[in-house]
Amino acid sequence: MPEWLLKDENYIPQSDKDAFITKSIHALLGLLSRIRAQSVHEDDGFRTNAVLKVAFTFMLVMLVSITKSFTFVIIIDVYLLVILSMMKGEEIFRVLKTSLFMSAFTFVILLPAAFLGNLFSGIMITSKVFTTVTAVNIISHSTRWNSITSALKRFFVPDIFILVTDITIKYIVMLGGFSLNMLYSLKLRSVGKNNKKYKSLSGIPGTMFIKSKEMAEDMYSAMECRGFTGEYRVVNRFRFTPADFIYIIINIGIAVIFLYMERV
Amino acid sequence: MHIPDNYFSPLTCAVMSAAMVPVWTISVKKVKTEISKAKMPLLGIGAAFSFLIMMFNVPLPGGTTGHAVGGTLLAILLGPFSACISITVALLIQALLFGDGGILSFGANCFNMAFVLPFLGYFIYKYVRDRSSSEKGELAGIALGSYCGINFSAFAAAIEFGVQPLFFHNAFGQPMYSPYPLSVTVPAMVIPHLLIVGGVEAVFTVAIYSFIKKVSPGSIYEGAKHKTKAVYGLIAALACLSPIGLLATGTAWGEWGIDELKDVTAGGKALGYVPEGMKNGFSFNAVMPDYAVKGLPDGAGYILSAVAGAAILLILFKMIRSMMKNNAKNITG
Repeated sequence: MPEWLLKDENYIPQSDKDAFITKSIHALLGLLSRIRAQSVHEDDGFRTNAVLKVAFTFMLVMLVSITKSFTFVIIIDVYLLVILSMMKGEEIFRVLKTSLFMSAFTFVILLPAAFLGNLFSGIMITSKVFTTVTAVNIISHSTRWNSITSALKRFFVPDIFILVTDITIKYIVMLGGFSLNMLYSLKLRSVGKNNKKYKSLSGIPGTMFIKSKEMAEDMYSAMECRGFTGEYRVVNRFRFTPADFIYIIINIGIAVIFLYMERV
Repeated sequence: MHIPDNYFSPLTCAVMSAAMVPVWTISVKKVKTEISKAKMPLLGIGAAFSFLIMMFNVPLPGGTTGHAVGGTLLAILLGPFSACISITVALLIQALLFGDGGILSFGANCFNMAFVLPFLGYFIYKYVRDRSSSEKGELAGIALGSYCGINFSAFAAAIEFGVQPLFFHNAFGQPMYSPYPLSVTVPAMVIPHLLIVGGVEAVFTVAIYSFIKKVSPGSIYEGAKHKTKAVYGLIAALACLSPIGLLATGTAWGEWGIDELKDVTAGGKALGYVPEGMKNGFSFNAVMPDYAVKGLPDGAGYILSAVAGAAILLILFKMIRSMMKNNAKNITG
């Protein structure tokens, strides 16, 4: 047994700052898990048609933005809370996390105005932001994203645009996973103090870009092999279910309440 | 800089979206002629790239981190028109699927980040590059372009914010949307961008560009060979200032304050009086006395409060249960 093997080693690596790598990893992981989470649901009783959901969510956001009545905003809040209470616990967490964060941010921004005697807009805008962010997050958490994008067809969005959007979501996952691995290796290979880390950081998006070019070429070859001619057609069948019917009635009710409130 | 809904009035959102329509149309046409269908997937993948760029944190002095937007970088790498479409798609996904940035304010967000930022950044870069042959000149152009691009983008946003209280207030003169005037919004938005964000953007853009140029020089957008005339830069700069045009439109139709109402003309004649119902209308102090919600019959107010209470309890219950489930999972797993 050689002498050096028996010697105790106590190598303590110098501490180094790598918060930016950790934060980037967290951001990417959060993003990827969010995209993966949406591909599994659809079994939650919200069987309403995605086209209706998108259309009425847009209407809701619009009405809330126009209204001058605080009561109307509260009614919509209650309606959204009822919908939220029918969702799964983890989803409720995610929706509320975003909307509460956004409203808190808005409130802080509007605080100086409130001190200057403009309490009204502080409360009104904060609650409106809460309402609209919750509404959008509910639809995004309760619907598969590809049904949302294909629902856009009904709103005269060109098919090619929907194709691009679908490709984007797919490749956010692929490129995201790819750059996540690069970030991991940058973190793992920086033992002790590594001053070249900052330089390597620019290499990650750079490599990601080159990779994305290659992927685009590969993807086109694959598409052409399968008969892609530059035309793309989104098939969108529309079937009414009882849930859709109830959903339409509720939303007509909301529109009526809006008109009633604006009359006051 | 993703502006959520309700900071801007719906009218502003409509104006900004209308301003984006020609930009989108021209971009799509340009991309169709410049990019063969073979490169169409690149638009989607470029959008994914521009989405992910914002996920990268860069270290800032003082131990904090920030992230770059990468708009100019995309314009230099893919060309400004493709960059416009890619960023638009990325913003759409953020607004619709991630709830980040508003749906109504989507047009305004696109104007600031998918139009002003890449186009101005690109044209400044092109202007500098065409007038210098050295590599240093090129890098200086990139730094200047990305620095100016992000700052003008912030400036456009500040103007959009600042005009809100001028036009949109309720009958009591209280702003309905963002309450701060231009004198507050412009310094608040522009100073941090001039000092920090612009620097981050410039360093980030130059670093990534030089990396790609070194590793794979063939993959960078070439653009037209002829020299870009200074006039394009001027047009881009003017476009950035166009939100100022909002200043000239006066009070929005239908959103007059009481004092303005009697000057409203109907069929050539001034209204001349203030409608009685509007003179002593809604007072905010009385919105929720006890449980009764104003504008509703007492009974309905109680019912509304009860429904809200039940829903909140259900939400709390489900959240606690899912938390306990997670804890149990952590213990057993």
